[in-house]
Amino acid sequence: MKSLPEITNQVKKNLIWKSIFRRDYRNTVRDRAQAVFGNVFLHLHPVQVRESAVKLRFTWGMGGITFFAYLLLIITGVVLMFYYHPSIDQAYTDIKDLEFQVPFGVILRNLHRWGAHFMVIVVMIHMFRVFMTGSYKAPRQFNWGVGVILLVLTFLLSFTGYLTPWDQLGFWAITVGTNMGAATPLLGYQGPFSEFLHITPFNDVRFALLGGALVGGNALLRSYIWHCVAIPLIATILMFVHFWRVRKDGGISKPQK
Amino acid sequence: MANENKDNSSLRVYLFVFFSVLLLALSVWVVWDDEFGLRPWKKYQEDYKTLKHDKLEREYKKAVVEFERSGGHKKLAELEAKLEKAEAAFQSKENQEKYAKLNKQLDTAHDALVVSQQELRNLRGQFLETEYYFTKTQQPEYKKKMDSLERQIDAIGLVVATQQKSEDAVKGQVSAMTAAKATIQAEIQKMKSPLEEAKERTAKNENVSVEIKQIHIADVDKADRCQSCHIGIDAKSSVSSVQPFTKHPLSFVYLEKHDPNKFGCTFCHRGQGRATTSIEKAHGNIKHWDEPMLEGDMTQTSCLNCHGDIKSLRGAEKITKSTELIKKYGCYSCHKIPGYETVGDVGPILTEVGTKVNYSWEVKWLMDPKSYSSIARMPKFYFTQDQAESIADYMFSMTGTTRHDVDNTKSKPDAKLVEAGKALWAQSRCNLCHVTGGRGGNNVKVYAPELSKVGGKVNKEWLFKWIKNPNAYNPGTKMPRFRFTDEEINSLVAFITTEYQDEDMEYKYVQPVEIKAASITKGKELVQKYGCYGCHKMLGMEDMVQVAPSLKKQGVTFLRNSEMREKIGMELSSIGSKPVDMLDFGKMKKSISNDRLTYIKQKLRDPRGYRLGLRMPNFRLAESEINELAAVLYGFTDASVPTRFLVPSRQELDRMAGVQSYKFTGDFAKVIADVKCTNCHSIRGIGADYAPDLSFAGSKLQESWIRNFLANPDVIRPLLQQMPKFGLTSGKPLAKVTMPRFNLGQQKVEDTNKTDVDVVINFFQQELLSSDIPKAIPTIASVPLPDQIVKGKALYDLKGCRACHQIGTDGGALGPNLTNVGNRLNPGFIFKHLENARKFKPDIVEPNYGFTEQERIYLTNFLMTLKLNTK
Repeated sequence: MKSLPEITNQVKKNLIWKSIFRRDYRNTVRDRAQAVFGNVFLHLHPVQVRESAVKLRFTWGMGGITFFAYLLLIITGVVLMFYYHPSIDQAYTDIKDLEFQVPFGVILRNLHRWGAHFMVIVVMIHMFRVFMTGSYKAPRQFNWGVGVILLVLTFLLSFTGYLTPWDQLGFWAITVGTNMGAATPLLGYQGPFSEFLHITPFNDVRFALLGGALVGGNALLRSYIWHCVAIPLIATILMFVHFWRVRKDGGISKPQK
Repeated sequence: MANENKDNSSLRVYLFVFFSVLLLALSVWVVWDDEFGLRPWKKYQEDYKTLKHDKLEREYKKAVVEFERSGGHKKLAELEAKLEKAEAAFQSKENQEKYAKLNKQLDTAHDALVVSQQELRNLRGQFLETEYYFTKTQQPEYKKKMDSLERQIDAIGLVVATQQKSEDAVKGQVSAMTAAKATIQAEIQKMKSPLEEAKERTAKNENVSVEIKQIHIADVDKADRCQSCHIGIDAKSSVSSVQPFTKHPLSFVYLEKHDPNKFGCTFCHRGQGRATTSIEKAHGNIKHWDEPMLEGDMTQTSCLNCHGDIKSLRGAEKITKSTELIKKYGCYSCHKIPGYETVGDVGPILTEVGTKVNYSWEVKWLMDPKSYSSIARMPKFYFTQDQAESIADYMFSMTGTTRHDVDNTKSKPDAKLVEAGKALWAQSRCNLCHVTGGRGGNNVKVYAPELSKVGGKVNKEWLFKWIKNPNAYNPGTKMPRFRFTDEEINSLVAFITTEYQDEDMEYKYVQPVEIKAASITKGKELVQKYGCYGCHKMLGMEDMVQVAPSLKKQGVTFLRNSEMREKIGMELSSIGSKPVDMLDFGKMKKSISNDRLTYIKQKLRDPRGYRLGLRMPNFRLAESEINELAAVLYGFTDASVPTRFLVPSRQELDRMAGVQSYKFTGDFAKVIADVKCTNCHSIRGIGADYAPDLSFAGSKLQESWIRNFLANPDVIRPLLQQMPKFGLTSGKPLAKVTMPRFNLGQQKVEDTNKTDVDVVINFFQQELLSSDIPKAIPTIASVPLPDQIVKGKALYDLKGCRACHQIGTDGGALGPNLTNVGNRLNPGFIFKHLENARKFKPDIVEPNYGFTEQERIYLTNFLMTLKLNTK
């Protein structure tokens, strides 16, 4: 019969254990820093954070909450994709089935929908805070730019997700939204100067967005792919740039003494 | 400072604990809600199971009581004793030895058979193989081998057959030994089985799992989950009268033809078939769901989705009746409605109306038709006096230049003449179609005008000409030509104009007044604006239809009918599925419920109420008529129904098959064109269901009887009472209806030298025949005719025919009187009618007694003796 320390020792010597944990952990500054360096998920995070930077009164924690909302949307979004077909015959009934039949479908869909509204609100508050504390100033001007792009991507995620239930609300929202695209200068067929490029309703930016001249099956498929693949991919990459840049620009900005 | 920190941290702990508990509680709630709160059907299914269990228990107890009451236990004990005895006999040493021996024999026989069968199979295999090689190589040696194999096969086949026979013989002996036992066992089983089956049903019910029930119709991706709550909807009997546990009402009509597994529920009932979380959602009684569930009679509106013909459709009686209203009020005149393209004008011809009516009457009528006749079908257009006069001027200008009235009250005709007219009026049964003083008008579908005040409306010269030949004034009229003499017509005109005076009438234009040209122009504009030509034929408008408003801006106001198929009103072909958001509630948006049915009803109630500038007139429908009409309109949808559900109408099928629909031809067509038999009778699908169907009258009726009847309907007819209709058809039930006398037989038909009565009889004898009805009935040589008649009489008494039929003064009045049936009907018809009465009249009440052919011959021969001497 082996004693507990003996067993622990044996487990820790095991190759699998060693491949994951590498070395023992002692509560020293060095080891704490090592823990962060050696973990990909914490890698983006600064090793050390100033006390003033975690003061809720100053940062409101809105950036972190935005990221939390984003994670929530990714998780619920992936599960929703299991139950959804981006075709005009099935999309609406799939949403109805989520409401009536799928286990936890109601909370799943509502988490995604309200989570999306929440993220848009929180992201704007985050921007407001950054602006009001002057955190967009040098050396953080580049990260401000990245943030602005992320804001636009958040809006686009909202916009593309709006059509997916294939209901009257989404249908007309996308109709109106893409009609605005039709008025783009040069690229929209109703926009100024478009005649120089020989732009018609069948080759303008609206056509590209809808995959057709009307909101139909192609528009639904396009918005689905933008919503579920393309924009999340770009946003995720930019988010990592955003976080990494926070660290490179000297950590979260702090109140001037 | 330290103290404050401590306070802060303890507050944080409290907050942490509070939110943790809240999160936990929420998580539990989420799980609970998902499992039960959002799945109320689970409880319904559990309840249904309990109810069904109780019902099955009751049935079981009843079966037990029945078993005991019939002395089941005693019988069972007797049987068991018998079985024991049989078993003992079987177990005796002698029998056992015999049994063992037989079994051994059977084994041997079977073994031998198996060997031979194997051999046979083997040889067959070899034969097939050789055949294959032979066809491939054509070598003669294979052919030889095939022949020898064939011989072997034949030989062994014989062996197998004999062995099979001997095995069967032994088998028979074996089973004969146990037969006594087996019979008793089967009897015991038979006694026990009702109880056991009842028990089995109960056990089966226990094992039913609670789960979502869904009907999925793949080609339209419809998923109806209604049965998740309405669990017993397709059961044969209800377990409870409480919803949602009942069975479908009249399921033998609706579900038998529409298997729920193929049709689902929402094709007929609408509602939200996928929803299961609450009654409101499932029934579709929520905002933004445009199709609330249809309940009760309203559901019949869905018959229109698939059935082209609902006229004789079982279970669609209400909607069929409602559909009549579209014809009655002529909705199709202004609105495009599929299926009504070829229905004729609903209003009378107005081309020469100036020669027919008084000007003052015309103006009064235009302003408010109901002020003249309470049953008037013409709607109120809310014309002012000025507008009505303009329209009247326009119409009168077609045949004259003046506004003029003739006051019939001023001339007093000879009293004798009036008296003669009154008799003629009664004899001609004018009241069959026309209402006077609130009486008559039983044949409602003719929609003849009310004549209570007709004296103030028409002038005498016109009336004379009209009665003499109605087709001359209006070729499309339903009024028959009665073949009166001029004196008779004079008396009738005198009677009508004196008896039916209009007390309220003011004759303003007894002195004619010249019509102004400006007024005519204005009248024409009004006629065009309100589309009078939709219902009436009018001079100058024969081919006009108004273009829909959206096309007006192109500067074209009127087009020829052939160029433009638009009607004045909105197309109604899909009003029943128009999105609610697209209905214009206008001024009423806030004051009435915003759903489609309410919209339609309010539109019918107050056609110009939604906003200014609407042109639809007010038909002043009764609330019941509004409901009926709304139900029909609600059924005009563009719902996507799979083509396999569609049941085209008879006409459509004929059209697709290239079959010409029945048309009257020859001399009879000339007679029927002015006698209008089809106002009441139906012949080969043409006509009304008010009087008996004449499609096979030639086979049914005797020639002499037809001739007598046509000449003198009021003499023979009382013997034939009209069967009460039980509300199955739309005619008002009436105890005694007699056919009018059309005075046939006095005139020759145009271009022929035959009298009209001969033409009719000839047509009956030549055309209205059924190949199913024999000319003569089979004879029975063995029984002399008088005996047959006696036997037939005995059968008549035995089967209780007199309960409904009357002979002489004896019997009931539900069925036709048979006193003179021997003179009236052909024996072949009686013979066939007794076999299956429904063959010729599907809704007949006469039961099917299942007579044998012999019995039918006896009865027919008896009935043919019933003759009344009319001479």
